[in-house]
Amino acid sequence: MTWTIVRKEILANLLSYKFYVVILLAAVLVATSFFIMTRDYKERLADYSLIRPKPGEPIAVNPPNPLSIFAKGLDEAMARSFEVGPTGISVRAGQKSGNTVFAFFPTPDFLYIVRVVLSLVALLFGFDQVSREKEAGTLRQMLANQTSRSTILIGKWAGNFLSLAVPFLLVTTLGIAVLGLDPDIRFSSDQVLRLGLILALTLVYIAFFLSLGILISTLTRRASSSIVILLFIWALLVFILPNLGTLVARQVVDVPSVRALSEKREQVWTREILLRIKGQGDMPSHIRSISAENDALEADYRVKFDRLVNLSKNINRISPVASFVYAVTEIAGTGIGEEGAFKGEVVRYKNAVLGKRLASPDLKSSEYPAFLYRYRPLGRVLVRGALFDTAWLAAFGILFFALSYLAFVRYDVR
Amino acid sequence: MIATIVKKEVLGHILSFRFIVTLALLLVVVPVTTFVLTNDYLKRIDDASLRQAEIETYLRSYAHFNRIGNILQATPTPIPFHALVRGLAPDINLGEFDNDPLPVMFPLVDLVFIVTILMSLVALIFAYDAVSGEKEDGTLKLALANGLARPKVILAKVAGGGLTLLVPFLLSLILGLLVILVHPGVDWKGPDWVALALVTLGTALYVMLFYGLGVFISSRHHSSSASIMTSLLVWVLLVLVVPSLSPYIASFLSPTPSRIQVDREAERLGDTERDDLGRKLQAERMRELVAKYPVLNERLSEADKKRLMERDPAAREAFEAARKATQGAWDEANRVQGEKIDTVRRAAAQQEEAQTGLARTISMVSPLSVFTYLATDLSSTGLRNEAYFGRVSDVWDRAFWDYAQKRIAELQAKDPATDWWNTPVDMSDRPRFVYTAEALGGRVEAALPGFLLLFGYGLVFFVLAYVSFLKYDVR
Repeated sequence: MTWTIVRKEILANLLSYKFYVVILLAAVLVATSFFIMTRDYKERLADYSLIRPKPGEPIAVNPPNPLSIFAKGLDEAMARSFEVGPTGISVRAGQKSGNTVFAFFPTPDFLYIVRVVLSLVALLFGFDQVSREKEAGTLRQMLANQTSRSTILIGKWAGNFLSLAVPFLLVTTLGIAVLGLDPDIRFSSDQVLRLGLILALTLVYIAFFLSLGILISTLTRRASSSIVILLFIWALLVFILPNLGTLVARQVVDVPSVRALSEKREQVWTREILLRIKGQGDMPSHIRSISAENDALEADYRVKFDRLVNLSKNINRISPVASFVYAVTEIAGTGIGEEGAFKGEVVRYKNAVLGKRLASPDLKSSEYPAFLYRYRPLGRVLVRGALFDTAWLAAFGILFFALSYLAFVRYDVR
Repeated sequence: MIATIVKKEVLGHILSFRFIVTLALLLVVVPVTTFVLTNDYLKRIDDASLRQAEIETYLRSYAHFNRIGNILQATPTPIPFHALVRGLAPDINLGEFDNDPLPVMFPLVDLVFIVTILMSLVALIFAYDAVSGEKEDGTLKLALANGLARPKVILAKVAGGGLTLLVPFLLSLILGLLVILVHPGVDWKGPDWVALALVTLGTALYVMLFYGLGVFISSRHHSSSASIMTSLLVWVLLVLVVPSLSPYIASFLSPTPSRIQVDREAERLGDTERDDLGRKLQAERMRELVAKYPVLNERLSEADKKRLMERDPAAREAFEAARKATQGAWDEANRVQGEKIDTVRRAAAQQEEAQTGLARTISMVSPLSVFTYLATDLSSTGLRNEAYFGRVSDVWDRAFWDYAQKRIAELQAKDPATDWWNTPVDMSDRPRFVYTAEALGGRVEAALPGFLLLFGYGLVFFVLAYVSFLKYDVR
């Protein structure tokens, strides 16, 4: 019986205006986003081949991550060049474009399309599931025929989920297959696995919003009030809550500004250099103390900053949308956690280079070890939060579905 | 008669469920945002003054001309308007090792965000059933059966709906402004209030525009459920997609060399190519001199040269000429290559400017971008302010450089052999960089086209709605 309802839902969707408009929109957007982000990635790859350090140069540069096509996240920050100078790290943000309009609007990557557009689409599939059939009077007739309410609800959910997920997956895998044909873009098997996980997460995300849509639909009598409520909830979940949380966290945790930090660094460097000019101590010991003090500043900043990040993450998780964003960016290797780990590696590399330089002062500049960043293994990423975020998202989806079941069982179909 | 319909529209909306939800939402979101942003602003003021104090301490011990380059820099200080509008985020700082990645993940909420995303959505939610809904209810045909002219109905609908929409926004804004007024740390001056009034006017145009668009879509549909579907589709495209795509489309249509490429090219021109040219020029000039002074052809050690110069005035002349020729050759090489570098950099800057302009133009297809530019320019947190800041910091740079030259000249007058580069100097009388926002006149002038464009979009949507409604089948 469930299967009959699933079929009925799918067929009804296939014949509706909504379905075509919405699927067309999603398909066009996903394709455009792939196209644009691929170009962006290739441009950054070309830049990388220009700044890639020659063997032995003490420069840490990480190539752009091909998964940034799907979730750009902090990849731009991670693909900067970190040059180990005489006393510290000098950063070059070469990839930064001079076009300031980029700074005004969010990056239209796959994550953005899913987060904003697909969630809305899922709501549009769910918002009138119960109230419309009630208004049309078909709900009554179905229930008169001894079909249980749970069968109807599950059938509706599954039917709509399939009619949304299947075309979406088709479009996306087609897009990914086209990307795979491009010789410049190489996914390792690990990255393919990660991509698969991201797609699976996307489905969980869609399921969450579909459940939310059906829940509100069972709580309202008319489809028009259902959509109004849903749009407000959607705006809150997708836009307001996650964006406000970051600001609220800042009220609680005090983090020095980035600029203040770099001024402090400058101060340390000047003090030591002047001591050296005055003839106190030898150069290596000064360099050591500059490096140590900078590391202490950095570590102190990291501690405070991690507190800020954790707090704002937790506040933002009020909205499962934030959980989704965190999980996807971490799995793609462009998230905040990955960036922190990467910076830790850069600092470690700097200390290794400085150590080598101090141990043998007449070392030629071309004999430093090369920097190679290994992304955290998937297992660790999952344990360090991605799994929790996924579970959190799924839990909300299940909760909403359960609530809609409760509401539907008591729904007055007349 | 129009007044009656306007009144009916206003009352109809005010009593509706969506009005109450909108009001509640805005009454919470706007004051909370203002509160949070105000605190953030005060924090940043504290941070700025703390940094200023640190810089003063630093200068007391280390005010050498060699040591201040990275410390004495023009930095923008927070302006009171940041309590409402954040504009271009200064936090995303890719030039420093410790950049702040949070705003990259979730851009901060501010008044512009609330207006552009939330208010436009609310306007469409209010408007989607303005015509199709009344048709479904059957009230539209009753109204028209009573000798009411269609133009009057549509005019009253747009006016009534748009006005009602502004009520929750204005109420919440007033509540938010109370937060700012109560805070003793935030000092809003006359121009700020005028700018705010203009931003509010822009908001009104923006909201009316979306309401007009909603009515237009509504009068193209016969069922309100289809109408909201189309409305949302158009909203997604106009508000969420077009602005984000525009810079990428512009970079596609008008490509620029990446900054790394330009830097590398400039480095090559100023380094290896300059050396080649310098050597070539030097060789050419020396050839002429060698013909004239054969002594130059002899391979002499520096000591021998010195001795020879002391003994023989002719040799001295020859070596002097050689030194001059060499110097001249390298100066020439530096000049030629410097010009080339300038040309490359200027060309790149021009291309970047062209691309930015194109991106801006493309993005203006969306009213969201128009409003964003308008509001950020008016509140001096946007593109225009960036250019303005560049100009004032250049002025300060020059003033400081003049001051430094003067001080160096003083030091040299006292003792010509002084190492002025590494001598502590009392710089307490240096010109200080004080950042103040641009005068209001310039900002308003910059925002004027935005106002016109918003008004134009609104007018077009209204005319479309009007025409569609005249031909609407109300049965």
